[in-house]
Amino acid sequence: MATHSSPIAGGNIAGLADLTGMIVERFGDQVAQLRAGANFILTLSVGQPSALPTLAQFLFWEHGCLFGGITAEEHSNHWQIHYTFLLPGSGWIDVEFSMALETKTLPSIVTEVHAADWHEREIEDLFGIHFENHPRLGDFVLHDQIWHEGIDPMRKTFSAERPQLERKVDLEWQPLLVVGDPGSFAMPVGPVYEGGIGESLHFLLETVGEDVIRAAPRLFYNYRAVEKIAEGRSIPDALLLAERFAATSAFAHSLAFCLAAERIAAVEAPPRAAALRVLLAELERLRHHAGAIAAICESTALAVAAAQASIIEEQLLRASCVFTDHRYLFGLNTPGGLNRDFELEQCKTLLATVDKAESDLRILERRLRLSSSFLDRLEDVGVVIGESARDLNLVGPIGRASAQHCDLRRACSYSGYGRLAFDVPCETEGDGYARLRILFAEATQSARLIHQVADTLEGGPVRVAYEVNHAGAALGWTEAPRGAALHWLRVDERGIVERYRAITPSFNNWLGFHVAAENFAFQDFPIILATFGLSATECDR
Amino acid sequence: MTITGSFLVAIFVACAAGVFASALLGHKQVPTVLSIAGALSSILMVLTSASVLLMGQPFEAALWTLDGFGRFTIHLDSVSSIFLLVSGVVYFSVSLFAGSFLKHQTDEAHPHLYYAILYFALMAAVVLILVAGDIVLFLISWECMSSLCFLLINYDPKGQLDKSAGYIMLAMSEAGFLAVAVAFLLLARSATDFSFTALRSACATLSPDTLWLPFLLGFFGFGVKAGLVPVNFWLPRSYTAAPPIFIPVFAGITLNLGFYGILRLNADLMHAGYGTGLVALITGSITALVGILYATTDGDMKTMLAHSSIENAGIIVAALGAFLVFRAFSQPVAAALALSAVLYHMVNHSIYKTLLFEGAGHVEAATGTREMDQLGGLARFLPELSAIFLIGCLAISAVPPFNGFVSEWMTLQSLLRSAVLASTSVRIVFALCGAALALTAALAVTCFVKTYAMNFLGIRRGSWELHVKAQATSKFPLAFLAVICLLLGILPTYVLPILNQSVESLAGASVTTALVQPFFTATPENAQLPPAFLADFHNLGAQTGRGLVPGRGLVVLLRGGETNPVVFAMSPSYSIIALVILFAAAWFVFRRLTRQRTLVKRPVWAGGIPRLLPLLTYTPTGFSNPVRVVFQAIFRPNIVEDTRQTVAVHFRTAIHRQREEIHVVDRLILQPVGAAARGIADFLAGMHHGKLNAYVVYVLVFLLLVLFVYRAT
Amino acid sequence: MSFWFWHGLRKGIQSTRYPARAENTPGVSPGRPVNTDFSTVEEAQLAAEICPTDAIVAHGKSTYVNPGKCVHCQLCLHSLQSPMNWETGYEWTRLPADGKEALPFPASFAKSMHIMVVDAGDCGACLHEVKQLNNPLYNMHRLGFFLTATPRTADLLLVVGPVSENMRGPLLKTWEAMPTTRKVMAVGGCAIAGGVFGKSFMCACGVSAVLPVDFEVPGNPPPPLAILHGLLVVAGRKSLNSPRPISEGRP
Repeated sequence: MATHSSPIAGGNIAGLADLTGMIVERFGDQVAQLRAGANFILTLSVGQPSALPTLAQFLFWEHGCLFGGITAEEHSNHWQIHYTFLLPGSGWIDVEFSMALETKTLPSIVTEVHAADWHEREIEDLFGIHFENHPRLGDFVLHDQIWHEGIDPMRKTFSAERPQLERKVDLEWQPLLVVGDPGSFAMPVGPVYEGGIGESLHFLLETVGEDVIRAAPRLFYNYRAVEKIAEGRSIPDALLLAERFAATSAFAHSLAFCLAAERIAAVEAPPRAAALRVLLAELERLRHHAGAIAAICESTALAVAAAQASIIEEQLLRASCVFTDHRYLFGLNTPGGLNRDFELEQCKTLLATVDKAESDLRILERRLRLSSSFLDRLEDVGVVIGESARDLNLVGPIGRASAQHCDLRRACSYSGYGRLAFDVPCETEGDGYARLRILFAEATQSARLIHQVADTLEGGPVRVAYEVNHAGAALGWTEAPRGAALHWLRVDERGIVERYRAITPSFNNWLGFHVAAENFAFQDFPIILATFGLSATECDR
Repeated sequence: MTITGSFLVAIFVACAAGVFASALLGHKQVPTVLSIAGALSSILMVLTSASVLLMGQPFEAALWTLDGFGRFTIHLDSVSSIFLLVSGVVYFSVSLFAGSFLKHQTDEAHPHLYYAILYFALMAAVVLILVAGDIVLFLISWECMSSLCFLLINYDPKGQLDKSAGYIMLAMSEAGFLAVAVAFLLLARSATDFSFTALRSACATLSPDTLWLPFLLGFFGFGVKAGLVPVNFWLPRSYTAAPPIFIPVFAGITLNLGFYGILRLNADLMHAGYGTGLVALITGSITALVGILYATTDGDMKTMLAHSSIENAGIIVAALGAFLVFRAFSQPVAAALALSAVLYHMVNHSIYKTLLFEGAGHVEAATGTREMDQLGGLARFLPELSAIFLIGCLAISAVPPFNGFVSEWMTLQSLLRSAVLASTSVRIVFALCGAALALTAALAVTCFVKTYAMNFLGIRRGSWELHVKAQATSKFPLAFLAVICLLLGILPTYVLPILNQSVESLAGASVTTALVQPFFTATPENAQLPPAFLADFHNLGAQTGRGLVPGRGLVVLLRGGETNPVVFAMSPSYSIIALVILFAAAWFVFRRLTRQRTLVKRPVWAGGIPRLLPLLTYTPTGFSNPVRVVFQAIFRPNIVEDTRQTVAVHFRTAIHRQREEIHVVDRLILQPVGAAARGIADFLAGMHHGKLNAYVVYVLVFLLLVLFVYRAT
Repeated sequence: MSFWFWHGLRKGIQSTRYPARAENTPGVSPGRPVNTDFSTVEEAQLAAEICPTDAIVAHGKSTYVNPGKCVHCQLCLHSLQSPMNWETGYEWTRLPADGKEALPFPASFAKSMHIMVVDAGDCGACLHEVKQLNNPLYNMHRLGFFLTATPRTADLLLVVGPVSENMRGPLLKTWEAMPTTRKVMAVGGCAIAGGVFGKSFMCACGVSAVLPVDFEVPGNPPPPLAILHGLLVVAGRKSLNSPRPISEGRP
């Protein structure tokens, strides 16, 4: 792979050297190879599968790395599994393990790193790789009610185009219920949500009446197999998918995809494009947070505040439309930069709207702080304590409300965020109100970033020529409005996608939802849901 | 011998015939004998009481004299006739039910002959209690009844069952029996002989203060049988342990004997002060509230119904307390109203509780379970039973046009009449008790909405299969009672005059004159009513339909002044007519409107999931949990087990929380009393294990004490 | 807490006057490409080639757009020397291409129509735009359009998303649970033709593969006013602008 000046450069090199030394000392015989590369500051090729759990435990707990995700790749004659970790302030670490295609078992690292739970379940469901000692495999992406075992759709041998034959719904299927109190039952919610407009997801609220003891989400109703159908497409075509699988954070995901694609071709977007990307990403974050605040107000039935917040959101949508010709910022990113440039006048108009939105949000926040009945419903509701948040590796505003101050814009800067001044707000209570405060504080920071970018915008092109003429793989990452988004892309020498993997913040955070949704009153359920502000479609892909 | 006497003798003959026929005809014929002889003797019971009530003369007969115990007498007055009448009606239904039920229960768990002998013996004992005219016969037959009940519950030839329920019941019954016996003997000290007539005249000479002790003893003794707080803990356990065909007898007949005892001893024989009435009122209200709270939260169908019986007993005794207070304050009209509420509610409770227990027995036989968490969806399997059970639930929830409404309304109205009382503190007690009873009525609706909806509607939650044979048990006995529920609910104007004789004899005012105005039969010149009042009524339209509806139509509960003629009034008979017309009109309009529509039936909408599984539907526990949470201070659940199991450190595999509730009466009264008793016993035991010297000291100290007392007097 | 009341009142009425008057505030609609006549055949060819979803078909010097297939990538607007013509309106509702003659609801529904929204694998944009109809700027309640929580009382089934395999069953269940007077409206390019997701083992490629669709609202996503126009058409209060879609881009 061509050498490429990574934005990670200048990170915490000393910490990395220490880490390398410790790994050699402790895992010397099990780690076959240590190397640094363009994507990862450190790639560890593990020789023995038994080393995986201990290595994960070492990185995650002893060395304070954050867990990125697990990516499985099927090559012509072997499996390659990537365990991605983030060394904050330095960069990404890849723990890589290869095994023959016939070997279909791996030790699970879930006892050591709980955050790996859903990654392993997904791989088991879609690739058919069995994770030893994982207690809850099966019935995840492919619901057991309608998919029989033995279908591994992500295998290369499985044709995505072939529609499934008629399937019989298994009416005898029983959900896994945990509460065994006498007289307990589960109240089904969804997948066609009864509360007006909602995404497709299903909950079983386990209760003995009056209070809900446990609420576990059942997701993947919106699974459209984006990762599968991206395979075999060209990079621009795959970009359409990356942009459109979760439209409320479309720009962040398309940016992560483009960054990965650019890293493969060893090109970098010109400075003006990088700056404009920051501007657009922050515009999206501001709009998303206004919408999330509106949803929280609505969940507590505070109608006027909900209306005001949704007006702010709609004004930002309209401003986006005036600025970019699309309300959800579709069709802007392209590998190598942006599809179009913007005039100074346009930026000024946008800035005016952003300022207005920001000041309106401040007024709204002041009023909400005075609304005691509103605060009563948020405080101590849906609490995720810091230890759980760390355990589950929660990301984004939810993680930051529970003292997890990781923000990829800081922890592993991209697209020139490293040069900009902004704060990463962090709270420790981990309740609904803390999450609301984080949303407000981040909205303010986004407005601040938009101003900084607009004020220091350099001239120049917004796009460089982009061409892929060699095979390669790369990781792209952004801090999407809901948290860290990782896109892993592997292409062949013609630029055709061989493997595309999107690890989304909602996928990470839905795993932690059940921690917040334990032992609460029925009427708090929509509030917990709203303060989490997760997207099912972003999780499902 | 009079006609009443002949009927009475015929009852005992029929009972004896039933026993012999069962023994002679063999195992297979027992159910038929039970039905025929039981129904026959119950009809005779109805005829006996009817003859007394119709002739208006009590029936008296002297039997024989026993040395040292005086003469045994039979005395059947209007009060006991009403109890006998109810017992007859209930026994009629139960006999048919029992016969039909046993026909399909041929296994060893149901010893037919044993049941038949006890059944007829119990029936005879009950009749004997009601017709007893003196203390000795009454106490003997009472003791027989208690022993028979014990034998029923503890029948266990193989020694497999838990016998504690029966022993607890026996112990409590005996304690009650002793208290009652002492109460009677205290009164008999100043009487010429042991007959009730003699006691009554003896009591009249005693001051109200000296009556406190016999009152409390009698109230305790009969309260055990009537299921009053705090001596009712035996009741849910023994009801649940009793064979299905006997539970209706317990709830519909022997429970009434407790009320009969209280009414006879504490209200009829004694005329104590108003304080005794307040004791009854407060005890009754607390009993009602505690009973319904535990009924609402209980998950076992029979235990739930037993707790509901306690609730109804509470309502009856509360109204009885109101009667005693009104009588002590010389308010005969209010007293008459309260007493008629007592009798009416007693009648109603016997009818619908018998119906519900028969229904519960039916359900248990058909499904093999009483756990309401396991039932559900029975309406689809047992449609007829479901409809009849629904009537029972509506009646017990006091929903018009069924009978529960009439008597609960009258009870609450009589408590509201406390305005006539002179003492403010007594009025406050009335107000508080009225509030407690109103809360009870509301909770009763919750309880029986739960009972019906969770058992009969929805989908089957448990894994039981329907027993086809048990399903074939005749529904006629239940339907018969359901019809009576309806009749008692819509024709109170015919029922109240029947109750009137006993009310008049005890309260001193006619309930018919006071409550049921003869509007439709009397001319406007009716001498009983002031003309201005009648004219006002006429202007209000109260006489609309005069001549069309036969009989008396309106129950007036309070006659106001000249300017304000009616304060509280209701007319169930009118209501049912209006209800029928409204329903018919609504149905007609609905049919007209939907004539051209097509009906499409679809499965229940459950958010798009493939199938609504039973474990995704409400359970009775879940339904009643809000009550459990609101009244947490009373239930005080102990969490005895709170486990959260996980595997692989993070994965929750089980959350299990087991609560244990100690009944509030046990917790607050019985456990402290038990602990104190044990403490005293320990202390005495400690004294007992002293050395010889210590015994000598005890004797010496006692001797000194006696000498000292002797010197002092 | 009473200040919310005054705060709300002080803001005054902010709702759009549409449909009484046209709404022309900038940003309410992203617009869309329309049939364009180019000066040369090559330009038309370029326009057709740049479209990643074949929504643009060249025919001589002219290009024809199938709005149902357009995913709004804006390539034909920003990446061409001579761009396609761009329409700025939002009254885009049309009948489905399968030739079924769908009629709007009778007049009794005009002032009260209950809508059941089902997300059948949507990316969130269309659903979000439907949600915007509830905010004060669009306020669809003023027109008598209500969201219902149960299909039992719903008149219109509004489906967004290309119908993912896991949602096929729930969607059908919802449709079956509705009264038979129901109508179905597919909102967004994905619901009409599968959008970028196309037909796969997990995607049914549009609602019409599962249910009979009565009306379609093209757009990726269609802005709130386009959806509102669709609702007005279903309620019989607005007429269709083009009664039939141009099949395969040809007139």
